[in-house]
Amino acid sequence: MIARLRLDFWAGVLLFALAIVAGLLVWPLSTILAASFIDNRTGAATLGNYARVLFQPFFQTALVNSMIVGFGGMLGAMVLGIPLAVFTARYVIRGREFLATLAVLALVSPPFIGAYAWIMMLGRNGFVRLALEDFGVPVPPIYGLFGILLVFSLKFYPFVFLLTASSLRTINPAIEEAAEGLGAGVWRRFFKVTLPLVFPAVSAGALLTFVLSIADFGTPAIVGGRVRVLATTAYNLFTSEMTGNPGLASATSMVLIVVSMIVVALQRWAVGRRNVAGTLVRKPVPKRLGLPASIVAHLLCYGIVLVSCMPSLVVIYTSFRRTSGPVFQPGFGFDSYERILREIPHVIGNSAAYSLTAVALIVVTGTLIGYILARRESPLAGALDGALLVPYIVPGVVLGLAFVVTFNVKPLELTGTATIIVLMLFIRRLPYAVRSSAAILKQIRGSIEEAAISLGAAPGRAFLRITLPLMVPGVVAGALMSFITAINELSSSLILYVGRTMTMPVRIYLSVLDGEFGTAAALSTILLVASGLAVYAVFWVSGRNENAFV
Amino acid sequence: MARVDLQHISKSYPGVKALDDVDLAVESGEFFTLLGPSGCGKTTLLRTVAGFNMHDAGRILVDGARIDHVPAHRRNIGMVYQDYAIFPHMSVADNVGFGLAMRGLPRRAIAERVARALDLVQLGGLAGRMPHELSGGQQQRVALARAMVINPQILLMDEPLSNLDAKLRVELRDEIRDLQRSLGITTIYVTHDQEEALVISDRICVMHQGRVHQVGTPNDVYTRPATIFVASFIGAMNVVPEVPVGPGGEIGLGQGGQRVAALAGRARVALAIRPEDVVLQTGADRALVLAGAVDKATYAGREAFYRIGCDGGLRVLANAYRPDVGGMESAGARVAVAFPVSRLHFFDPADGKRIEAAP
Repeated sequence: MIARLRLDFWAGVLLFALAIVAGLLVWPLSTILAASFIDNRTGAATLGNYARVLFQPFFQTALVNSMIVGFGGMLGAMVLGIPLAVFTARYVIRGREFLATLAVLALVSPPFIGAYAWIMMLGRNGFVRLALEDFGVPVPPIYGLFGILLVFSLKFYPFVFLLTASSLRTINPAIEEAAEGLGAGVWRRFFKVTLPLVFPAVSAGALLTFVLSIADFGTPAIVGGRVRVLATTAYNLFTSEMTGNPGLASATSMVLIVVSMIVVALQRWAVGRRNVAGTLVRKPVPKRLGLPASIVAHLLCYGIVLVSCMPSLVVIYTSFRRTSGPVFQPGFGFDSYERILREIPHVIGNSAAYSLTAVALIVVTGTLIGYILARRESPLAGALDGALLVPYIVPGVVLGLAFVVTFNVKPLELTGTATIIVLMLFIRRLPYAVRSSAAILKQIRGSIEEAAISLGAAPGRAFLRITLPLMVPGVVAGALMSFITAINELSSSLILYVGRTMTMPVRIYLSVLDGEFGTAAALSTILLVASGLAVYAVFWVSGRNENAFV
Repeated sequence: MARVDLQHISKSYPGVKALDDVDLAVESGEFFTLLGPSGCGKTTLLRTVAGFNMHDAGRILVDGARIDHVPAHRRNIGMVYQDYAIFPHMSVADNVGFGLAMRGLPRRAIAERVARALDLVQLGGLAGRMPHELSGGQQQRVALARAMVINPQILLMDEPLSNLDAKLRVELRDEIRDLQRSLGITTIYVTHDQEEALVISDRICVMHQGRVHQVGTPNDVYTRPATIFVASFIGAMNVVPEVPVGPGGEIGLGQGGQRVAALAGRARVALAIRPEDVVLQTGADRALVLAGAVDKATYAGREAFYRIGCDGGLRVLANAYRPDVGGMESAGARVAVAFPVSRLHFFDPADGKRIEAAP
């Protein structure tokens, strides 16, 4: 009866996965959903929280600002990402791989590092701003919406760039030649034929940018000045001692989720009507540009990518400046590093321990769940697949709030523990691992495992001996990706941490608020190096595929 | 060597009856082919025997013992797939030796048997190669060796030649047949290619929409199709779906009013004849004769293919042998088309079943 047992093993995995989803997603989110209908003072059921969030000017401003940073960040990312994609995919640009690598590095560095690096450059005392002022060029400090949009555009354009470029490289050039033969000029051809064909990729990148922009907490908190968005508003409502209002914070969170859902649905609807399965007979060959055009193209491409890497360079540079306390001194030294090693070594240890633990859990669980989704179709597996979309659209702040509200009563009193932070990292990043392992499995034909079974390998053994070894490169790449995002996680950790369980991103955020740029820079550099090493490892196992990152 | 009995196997998927009361016996050492269009249930049936599908009803017996509840990995059945299913991360030798390793054989014994199996499929020198270094034909030979080396009771093959080019297909087809015969392994072979089935099989089972339409030798299936479906699926066939029949069995088609006793008492009959049995002269005895004009004439050297539009609107395909001797008709020429009664197949138009006309 091994056939039954095998069924039972995967059925067990399915039940376990559903329990995870129920415990770490459904329960916390329904808790804040319920909380959003509770009046803070009386404890009675009410729609008042939603009325306030939707109609009070204070919240309306936050909602409008969230829309502005969401769509603005999206547009900015497209304006930078699409030309970059077109030039590098279609024309001869020297150092194309170098550009893609830098874009990936810009992508994996956490956005709040970009935010405070830009403050160091263009803030009130920013050295770039002051230098320009010396030349008589007045530049207003970047605090406010402009700053947020600048950071988001330069931070998220790699999504649009990498997805669009890979899509452009799979369009059969004959299609464009046919359009040309039918009399479409360069621009008409681009807008009528090429752009619609890459629309799914462009819109997927744009969607990611939108969702990440409205979910991001660190950037508006650091560079936003007085500009409030929904994410910062929810955080402040929840954490501030004086005006703390969980019901209102929950309602704000729900609005944030609903906005994300609407935009996701719109993108799916827009893409769903176009089926653009490509038939690649021959690959497009990059064209040579004339010298003047080529110079412009190179300046543009290198300009975008280098500017987007500026924050990282500034941070690394700053980390090696001499300091005395929080004040920078002339010259270079390891003062900032000595200081963090002396004062807060546990923060580095925490970050490493939490990320690695979460990644280990993610790899095991994600691989097994990915297997179910790829190989064992059933209504329950379908439900699981749907539920695992939730973390994509729920901002870290919101899930953090939900965890605090849910896991602060016995017997599940987890607030203040390392466990709650690890669980948060786990559930936030699990869907990415599930998706990548399901994608790998879909490329491994089922007949291979069956052949092993018919040759006498029991199903578990067939999986271990045949399927698993074939999955390893993809799983390792997925694990490294999870590690990068886990070690850089700020928004939810900021809500869940206590002094003992502080992580590097949290400490960086607090240091920036306190004006301790040296400490922040040294910690950020450590994060950047860790992320960079992981990127290098991904390239190594995935055979240099930038698209492993989007 | 084993005899396989499939008794009343049924299997439904939501909205589809994949297998509908399939009842078959495969003799020991036989080369038995499941033939049918895609979606007919042949692969489902094969996978049921292999243990990858559970049937809803019925029994599977190997040498009289039920194996329905024996898990796939304990059935000792060799399986060869259309996409080869070679383990891409293992060498040729490790692929072929996998089943033996699973059976816990010592290394040396495995190496010996692997070497012998590779010689058998003419891959003697390639034991150390990796799969990506092999051609499709070589990969399928590896798969064949891998399935045979475990001395399976039954060998199952799921369209093993479909991914190969035409020349290789013929070559490997003959090799598979020779190998099977020399080893005497009971083999169930799935294909949608009727020519392949006719050439390779001891017996063929023609399936359509989950049901068995006919089981018989290639000759049986070709010359005495049991249903209209079999008649039209195997080889080319002219089918006239409904022809009126007179009270004494007179066929109401063409001149001559030929009488077939077996049809007496029927109002209608479906009629079929192969293009090679159609005669383009009037001289034939006992034939339905129709007048018509050549629509299209194709010369192919050894034979000629005609499409003839008969005066009643019926279209008939006819083959003529040695057209260079008998003379080639050209398009537009008026001809007489004769269906010799002895070459006609009759079917009940209601259920499509064959009506035997007494000789």
